[in-house]
Amino acid sequence: MFSMYFQLLQACLLLLACLTTSVVGTSNSGTSAGEHAANFFGRHDSTSGHTNNWAVLVCASRYWFNYRHMANALGMYRTVKRLGIPDSNIILMLADDVACNTRNKFAGSVYAEAGRRLDLYGENIEVDYRGYEVTVENFIRLLTGRVDPSMPRSKRLLTDDRSNIFVYMTGHGGNEFLKFQDQEEISAFDIADAFEQMWRKKRYNEILFMIDTCQANTMYSQFYSPNILATGSSEIGENSYSYENDNDIGVSVIDSYTHYVLKFMEGINKTSQTSMQDLFNSYDPVKIHSHPGIGSDLFHRPLDKALITDFFGGVAQAEIFPSQEDACPIGHHESGSTSLPFVPESGTPSLPVVTSPSTLTAEMHVWDSQWKEVRKWISVFVVGCLVSWVSFVR
Amino acid sequence: MRLVVDRQQLNTMDGRPAVLPVLVCFRLLLAVLPLPGQHLLKHDHQINSPLTSYLRLKEGLWMLDNNVDPYMGGSFHHSPLLLSVFSTILPPIPIIWAVSDAVGAWALLRIWRARQGLSLHKATTSTAESLIVSAYVSSQRVKYASNQPSSCLLNPYLLFPSLALSTSTFENSFTLLALMFASEGKPSSALLAIAFTIHLSPYSILLLLPILMLLITSPTSQLASPRPFHGSINRIASLFGEFMLYWLVLVGAACIITDGSWSWMKASWGASLTLPDLTPNPGLWWYFFTEMFDHFRPFFLMVFSVHLVIYILPICIKFQHDPLYAAFLLIGVLGTFKAYLTLADPGLFLSMISLFPEVHGYLRHPIVTTLLHLHAAFLLPLQHVLWVSEGRGNANFYYAASLVMGMAGGAGLVDACWAGMRIALGDVKVELEGKGQVARWEVAQE
Repeated sequence: MFSMYFQLLQACLLLLACLTTSVVGTSNSGTSAGEHAANFFGRHDSTSGHTNNWAVLVCASRYWFNYRHMANALGMYRTVKRLGIPDSNIILMLADDVACNTRNKFAGSVYAEAGRRLDLYGENIEVDYRGYEVTVENFIRLLTGRVDPSMPRSKRLLTDDRSNIFVYMTGHGGNEFLKFQDQEEISAFDIADAFEQMWRKKRYNEILFMIDTCQANTMYSQFYSPNILATGSSEIGENSYSYENDNDIGVSVIDSYTHYVLKFMEGINKTSQTSMQDLFNSYDPVKIHSHPGIGSDLFHRPLDKALITDFFGGVAQAEIFPSQEDACPIGHHESGSTSLPFVPESGTPSLPVVTSPSTLTAEMHVWDSQWKEVRKWISVFVVGCLVSWVSFVR
Repeated sequence: MRLVVDRQQLNTMDGRPAVLPVLVCFRLLLAVLPLPGQHLLKHDHQINSPLTSYLRLKEGLWMLDNNVDPYMGGSFHHSPLLLSVFSTILPPIPIIWAVSDAVGAWALLRIWRARQGLSLHKATTSTAESLIVSAYVSSQRVKYASNQPSSCLLNPYLLFPSLALSTSTFENSFTLLALMFASEGKPSSALLAIAFTIHLSPYSILLLLPILMLLITSPTSQLASPRPFHGSINRIASLFGEFMLYWLVLVGAACIITDGSWSWMKASWGASLTLPDLTPNPGLWWYFFTEMFDHFRPFFLMVFSVHLVIYILPICIKFQHDPLYAAFLLIGVLGTFKAYLTLADPGLFLSMISLFPEVHGYLRHPIVTTLLHLHAAFLLPLQHVLWVSEGRGNANFYYAASLVMGMAGGAGLVDACWAGMRIALGDVKVELEGKGQVARWEVAQE
């Protein structure tokens, strides 16, 4: 156990040494502690500064003919899961259950394209809010964290100030509103205020807000909190259209904007360096039949430096340090790793893992030496001498 | 008046059929033959404890072979001397345990002989009645001489741990050797043997004082005639110093193999005191500590340890006229209240009852004790299987069975205490006096 503590102490000392040398090496005197921390976290190209990823995927409309909204949300769910965000970090809100709807010819399955090749429902999805639980109140409570104490952890947004959140909303909407369940509506101001509460309570690092409804771009027009990148499917006065029908299901299966975004995402994997600018460049208003918008005025990073996987994936940065024997200035990282996004799981902070076999061997040296046999025989000899002395002499 | 030695009775005593060699051969046979259930025995928790288990001994030996500190993992609690002996001069094969069993039985026989044989030479009584009494006693001696080896070698409480290759066999054998040497008046050998015992199991320190007293006095039965301690107290100090010397040499030998580190003490002796391993055993300690807050652990550990130590002085003071009986009672205390109890510990107590046939008549409830032991012996493995293997019971079932075992041990101990004191009061003699019969108490004490 002592060797474990010793290793941990060594790791901490190394981190401290790393920090001090990077500070000394890179910055001049007079920089504040915050800048030091920013330099530490931002010393690679991707300057995101997040350590974990969350996704909130909301499908706000019910009834069978809104099949495509469910498919939108499930398609995004599949994408973020594929790119590494675990179910524990995804809040999936589906207002209706089309997979088990009696009108669904393919019971238990939800498809997002006409050929029905990929089942988005499957056997391994976790829907956190379903049916009538998808309400405006629940959504705002989820975002702000003001949930009832009885709310289980799986239905809470347990983000911190280093979390990047991907918020995706789809349904029927209009000028600065989104309809929930055919009963109520949430306005752009509500969402803006919710995000501001989150900012004040340090519940996010950056938010990507994506919305696919009619007149979607109006929904992010009222945001006023920093570090929010927003994108919508259509301008004010425009409708968002569905992409295609499936003749056997009988309804539209996917919306146009979401379809093209998902198609773009199919080319992304966890190690991809594709940036958000590339996604936005792929928008084709002709194909989508509406004009997608981008709201990046509150987003302080350059879009070509913001990776897709900063929001859609659960990617952690891991840095490989050289082992201790040939340890040299750790402060300069260009020698060792190029910041290769290395993905064990989402949410792991990038702590350098130092293996130092030297400490272990020092303790095992006692048992390892060639004198072990000698010592064994000496102890037996001592005991034998004692026994024989006692029995024969005394 | 010197007692006339009945030579004929002496001869009869020595001329009994040789029970010990037969039993030793049987035991060696058991060790050599591949018995079907031996694998099960090694894993049984009634006869193996974390401190004595053969599997842990093998694990420690393997770790030693592979240059890993055996005491680092927290599972190995044996003494380093066992490590060094079993990796150099002796391999850990069953014959060793059979030989140890045989040595223990032989030691028991020698204790018996020392206890009975010497009284033939010393004059203790002067009346004709006591001559008859002593003749009666010596005929009983003849009857009981064969009981010792069989009570040791055939006792299931001692046989099964020995077949399971538990190191409690060595502890018991060293205890019996210590008592044997002390009874025969060989101080150095006795102190060395008890030093070995204490090195293997620190709670055997309870037996140190009776053995010192036994060395100064004699092992003969004085239960019927208690008198104040007549040995020279000054010798105790020098004997204790000799014991400390032997013990320190053993500690030094153990430190040699660990190259000077003290971690083995914490692992082997500290395990008895701090109870790190809560493997269920027939003892009374483990259950308390499974459910106790950490805040109270030191207090309860202290209480349980002190509970063992407080028995030394009262028993030694009360039975100062017969230190062997005091040692017997303290073995009973250990066999009921030890930290990591196995069946070998009450087994030693039950085997040693055969050394004191004079108290057998005065035991008040031997049947109850026997039945309690029988109950416990059947309930313990049953509840263990029910709880651990099948999952239908829980820890309370098993602890209830170990409480029955505790009651059995307690009943035996209390009964032995009572009988040891009762025998001093003597018997009622009915005499004809005048016209009727008058009961007169015959006091055996002088």
